[in-house]
Amino acid sequence: MKAETAQKFEALETLATELRETFTKAGFEPVAPAILQPADILLDCSGEALRARTYVFSDLDGNELCLRPDLTVPTARLYLERNPTVHEEARYCYNGPTFRYSPADGKNTRPREFRQMGLELYAMNDRLAAEAEIFKLTIDGIEKAGLTDYKIRIGDLGLFTAFIDAIDMPPRWRTRLKHHFWRPDMFHKLLRELSGEDEASTLPKNGWPKLDPKDLLGGMLIISTYMRDHKIPLIGTRSLEEITKRLMDRQLDTAEERLSKEKVQLIEDYLAIQGPPRAAMARIIDLTDKADINIAKAFKRFEKRLDLFKDRGIEMKNTEFSAEFGRSFEYYTGFVFQIEAPNSQEIGPVAGGGRYDGLLKKLGAMEKVRAVGCAIHTERLLTVVEGEME
Amino acid sequence: MSEKTLILAVPSKGRLMDKTLEMFAKLGMTIKKTGHERGYHGKVVEHEEIDVAFLSASEIAHDLRSGRIHLGVTGEDLVRETIADHHKRVTFIKPLGFGHADVIVAVPISWLDVATVADLEDVAAQFQKYHGRRLRLATKYVNLTGRFFARNGFFGYRIVGSLGATEGAPANSSAELIVDITSTGETLVANHLKILKDGVILKSQANLVASRSANWTSAAIDTRNKIEQRILAVKAPE
Repeated sequence: MKAETAQKFEALETLATELRETFTKAGFEPVAPAILQPADILLDCSGEALRARTYVFSDLDGNELCLRPDLTVPTARLYLERNPTVHEEARYCYNGPTFRYSPADGKNTRPREFRQMGLELYAMNDRLAAEAEIFKLTIDGIEKAGLTDYKIRIGDLGLFTAFIDAIDMPPRWRTRLKHHFWRPDMFHKLLRELSGEDEASTLPKNGWPKLDPKDLLGGMLIISTYMRDHKIPLIGTRSLEEITKRLMDRQLDTAEERLSKEKVQLIEDYLAIQGPPRAAMARIIDLTDKADINIAKAFKRFEKRLDLFKDRGIEMKNTEFSAEFGRSFEYYTGFVFQIEAPNSQEIGPVAGGGRYDGLLKKLGAMEKVRAVGCAIHTERLLTVVEGEME
Repeated sequence: MSEKTLILAVPSKGRLMDKTLEMFAKLGMTIKKTGHERGYHGKVVEHEEIDVAFLSASEIAHDLRSGRIHLGVTGEDLVRETIADHHKRVTFIKPLGFGHADVIVAVPISWLDVATVADLEDVAAQFQKYHGRRLRLATKYVNLTGRFFARNGFFGYRIVGSLGATEGAPANSSAELIVDITSTGETLVANHLKILKDGVILKSQANLVASRSANWTSAAIDTRNKIEQRILAVKAPE
């Protein structure tokens, strides 16, 4: 953060105290994870966008450390330390500095040190209730801080997954599409490749006998014989099985029918959906009906979630659904949301969060642990609120 | 004795130093070390106004960025690696026709299923499933690597620092793939590695480079112009 006046420091502290009161009253225990974190764990878990902006360094023992780029992963590690085997329902809140590299770019340069205040809710069985709880509390918090003029953007990565699952195509194409969801450019490239518009990257021409996709062991034998005959030693961590498996997949890709133009269009039409939640839902029904695909389960969940939000008194009038939203944070898996102030285009969103069910297992949990959380950018919030009062 | 007006940095060891001194000698600029044989200071016999610094090639790149030296001979790879906004900080005056080295992406030859950068993202997804982590990439060229893959849409890797022989990393399982320099490719083959078809990040060679932030007095500019004229008058090597 920039050199700050005592006054600003006080104002931020006051804001944080107010928010913490709201959050602790709601049953969230304040925690304070370490600022220095082991680099490998953090970097493996966060998406590329965050990774490129993390400060990494080594200490005199040669340990690679980083300054935490957010508090979600450090807080999740803390939860796992406390609940190593039995993953009990828990509610934490935190407040503290985070650090991100920001390229010097004139007036758009964002501070490299800023504070985040956040909530994390782990292992709650009722998924929709957990999402509503976090969403509502975030809104309560920022309203209490004095922000009245804001927009909400929501998305649902579960809907995207269901959509891809419902479209008829080989399972590994689905895996690849889901994997590339986070990178719009690659995603579109992949769509073009699967539809035959772009050629797949060249396969080795010096062919071996055709591999039978149902016979992995047989394939491995063929490939290991080929390697022996050509004096190619198998080095490194990637196994013969992995190499064979992928060669089989590639052979299938070229042999199989391409993804039809209609399906490509359908996927792109879905991702382009944007608008008020109810209108977006109508558009989704329209798309799925026309294409005759069934995503009822995910759709019902989405619908129930909206109803529940309404029951909890969340006004959705300034809310926009965006099918693409959520693409920039790799650990989100379901419902995502973001709260934007009128000048968020310049300064970035005031708060954001969502469901991230995959993260804790990646960090070493015994099983999948459900998790929903949010982070509030308190400095931005304060700037906006002070601006509103003037 | 005339006043020093400009600092010229040349590589302090190996073939790169020999070639550099040879080139300047042909231009009528005899570079000699002053003082101790192992010292780092030198002069141009014919031009007393030029101060010569013998530095390692990577130090030269750093000093071009900070402006501690006016001119330097160093590899294009090091300039691009060391100076993120190099087009704002330095000017490449001329490629010198020696010190050739390509910065490349290499994977084990046994990866029969991988031929191009586009394959890597797929492999990364599969690797994550089998091993629960990202591919590790060993390199000294952290910045060149990051920029190249960001442009080509490969993200599923993590850079592990490399101090010694990068080419050995895949064989001893400390990384799955590498970005390194190669001139003939022999070392790669000896380490059972192959270059990806579209895996040449940069074709590098030694360059005469000017710092933009050095103290460019009018005398320094005069001296630079003299050197530039001579060097640009030589026909471009190949």
